[in-house]
Amino acid sequence: MATVKILGSGCSKCKVLEQRLLSLKATHNLIFELVKVTDIDDIIPYGVMMTPGLVINGELKSVGVVPKDALLLEWLGIESR
Amino acid sequence: MKEWVKFTLLASAFAIFYFAPIDAPIVLQSISAGLSLLHEYARLHVLTCLVPAFFIAGTIAVYVKKDAVLQLLGPTTKKYIAYPIASVSGGILAVCSCTILPLFTGIYKRGAGIGPAVAFLFTGPAINITAILLTSSVLGWDFAIGRLVAAVVISVLAGLLMAALFRDHDRKNADGEFAAGLGGDVPYSNFTILAFFLLQLAILVVFGLSVDPALKAVIIIAMIVAVLGIVLFKFQKEHNLEWLRETWDLTKKILPYLFVGVFVAGIIEAVIPQDVVTALVGQNTILSNAIASTFGAFMYFATLTEVPIIQKLMSLGMGRGPALTLFLTGNALSLPSMIVLFKVMGKRQAPAYILTIMVLSIIAGWLFGELL
Repeated sequence: MATVKILGSGCSKCKVLEQRLLSLKATHNLIFELVKVTDIDDIIPYGVMMTPGLVINGELKSVGVVPKDALLLEWLGIESR
Repeated sequence: MKEWVKFTLLASAFAIFYFAPIDAPIVLQSISAGLSLLHEYARLHVLTCLVPAFFIAGTIAVYVKKDAVLQLLGPTTKKYIAYPIASVSGGILAVCSCTILPLFTGIYKRGAGIGPAVAFLFTGPAINITAILLTSSVLGWDFAIGRLVAAVVISVLAGLLMAALFRDHDRKNADGEFAAGLGGDVPYSNFTILAFFLLQLAILVVFGLSVDPALKAVIIIAMIVAVLGIVLFKFQKEHNLEWLRETWDLTKKILPYLFVGVFVAGIIEAVIPQDVVTALVGQNTILSNAIASTFGAFMYFATLTEVPIIQKLMSLGMGRGPALTLFLTGNALSLPSMIVLFKVMGKRQAPAYILTIMVLSIIAGWLFGELL
């Protein structure tokens, strides 16, 4: 099972990214575990300073933006099957 | 909320209504002073300054490529590049104060080190674009520019000083890289984005000009049409939505606090006796600047609320020097931010930083009061 981490201490984009992921999860029957990393000391080691950071299976995928749905699906679709 | 908290709140509200001298002249005066300052801001500054400023800040948040700037604050960057970049990048990297802390921690622990991190931490809140634009709209361009220049200069000095004091600490941290190239690209030319940005800035500037109202209206409408043209024909829908969302987010975060701050500033004018203000901070002496500096360091100002409060203190007789000092420490330091500083920087660095900022602000304010 894939692990998806959202790095961010509660900015508005972080919430948007979370909602996006949850709605994709529901509509496409994806299986992954969503973890929210909110402590700044846990975020900095990823080299992320513009939140939200998106980490899928330990790999940093995006920084400071909410990626498009297609891109999210590509990252999740390949790695959650 | 626990039941007993609710009870205490209700009971104290009741006690206030019961015992407070609500119809005493001073209470009525201060409420009406608060309301009339709110009226003034709504009439003069909200539509013509704040609304365009929020849109401009939204533009910066969406369209400025932050990766490139961040790379200039990495661990391998030469110091003479890192300091100036750190001291001005707050204006584009941190549109809202909530993003300052992750950036500061990142620069401090993984990037260019304590010096540039401190420079960034200090100027980040002080030179954000909405604050500068509102300052110029309320107090004039000289104050806005004085605030900007003083903040940039102080930040570099404070950064260098901190780096010299805590050099050992720096070397341990110099490893790791920032994540780069994962921010997603915006598929427009720099020219389009610059035009979009400058048009919005021009709208705000023209609002402030004293020209024939009819001419002003024509120019502003033309520029709004041009902005809309770019939005409709050049930019993709998703970016436009993001632009609106960023703008709206910022408005939601700032405007309610600003209204409260303006009301409080109005009350201050009615409640604080003029002689007290004149006696403490009326002259441009080192002592009065030190008073302003200390007050600003401990007092918490929500983003932008420093502007109406300083405006009203000045109309009570505060000198220009102490006013600038208050701008500098008021934004950068507060009791809550000091607590965070202690946590992130440590017991030795945090007091050194706070003291440095307070002293440099006194000097800058004094100079501003003497020279301009």
